[in-house]
Amino acid sequence: MRINRREFIQISGAAAAGLALSSCAGKGGMFSPARDQAKMLQIQDAKETTTICPYCAVGCGAIVHTAKTGDKRAINIEGDPGHVINRGTLCSKGAALRQLSENSERITQPLYRAPYAKEWKKVSWDWALTEIAKRVKTTRDATFEARNAKGQVVNRTMGIASVGSAALDNEECWTYQALMRAIGVVYIEHQARI
Amino acid sequence: MSKSFFVDTTLCTACRGCQVACKQWHDLPAEKTENRGTYQNPADLSFDTYKLVRMREEVIGGQLRWLFFPDQCRHCLEAPCLETAGDPAAIYYDEPSGAVIYTAATKNLDAAEIIESCPYNIPRKAADGTLAKCDMCYDRVAAGMQPACVKTCPTGAMNFGERAEMLDLAQKRLAVIKRTHREAMLLDPDDIRVVFMVAYKPGLYHDHAVASNTGSGISRQVALRRMLRPLKNLVSQLA
Repeated sequence: MRINRREFIQISGAAAAGLALSSCAGKGGMFSPARDQAKMLQIQDAKETTTICPYCAVGCGAIVHTAKTGDKRAINIEGDPGHVINRGTLCSKGAALRQLSENSERITQPLYRAPYAKEWKKVSWDWALTEIAKRVKTTRDATFEARNAKGQVVNRTMGIASVGSAALDNEECWTYQALMRAIGVVYIEHQARI
Repeated sequence: MSKSFFVDTTLCTACRGCQVACKQWHDLPAEKTENRGTYQNPADLSFDTYKLVRMREEVIGGQLRWLFFPDQCRHCLEAPCLETAGDPAAIYYDEPSGAVIYTAATKNLDAAEIIESCPYNIPRKAADGTLAKCDMCYDRVAAGMQPACVKTCPTGAMNFGERAEMLDLAQKRLAVIKRTHREAMLLDPDDIRVVFMVAYKPGLYHDHAVASNTGSGISRQVALRRMLRPLKNLVSQLA
């Protein structure tokens, strides 16, 4: 006769004890998992923001959970079940979206390598943005064409091209291209793949 | 009501969404990988990788087939690891879902013994001896959500729900696939909560696709432990 463990517990009257144990097996209880998972509690109290995955032209919807308190950073990103394209699903790239912002490998300060310099050096955001604006303005003004060879109004610059990032979402792409068009850039590219 | 998975490998495209969603939800670190001539990465499950899409290239009937197997803990109805441990503080059933849960107290178990007891070769240990594996996202399930791997699956290969519904779905899909793939089968559907359907011989997908000790029953070691446990418990109560 084979008596399994469950039957044995019943026989030995330990069932009540087992029940008592399982009721305190939740988070923070004495039987917390090997890695404590307070995540569910975190996202239940998080702010939800919808976004579009930047990685390819399918355009899947995702929900970003950000902490309402503390550093207010993203704590979870998963597919948006209400989104018509993906109905909550995400591929491996989409499932890794959170690493766009939450990643210790990220470079968080602008780096500058001067012409002919071998090394990158850290610069301030203020310096970097001012310098970029200055150089864009100079190049744009020097290469601006109000009319083409046929005399048609074009208001463009052929001296600047833009290669957008593969990590920009829908809204960021819109803002970016609006800025580029405003200054007359016509070579506007985005790195979305697939 | 207990839960189960139905994994339809005929729909899997090996996008690895499940693998990444699992890491994302559990905040598990990345692994250093290398090009081993296969897209399967990392090479195996680990303390930091609970879900792994295994990939094999096999010639079947004169044609090359790329076989995908999104491997994970099967959450056995009667889990040998749990039986072997005999310590509910280390390994226990999460009653509402049926998930087999490993706690930090697995550190005190004989890791090699637990790993060997698993018919599917799933648990993995950390440097300090703590064991880890898929936890069925039982925190999500308790909140009425699907496990991260199931929710993210874009093809419908990963399914999750009430056990009866999943077994029903499995039978329906099997009937469809059987028409074109005579060898198609469900893997150990009566014993586990993660029921895979394969279109070809399971051994082609993964060495541990089906229980390695089917038919042989529990090991002598486990049997001995079971016999001695009442005595051990009695002694510890008296102490």
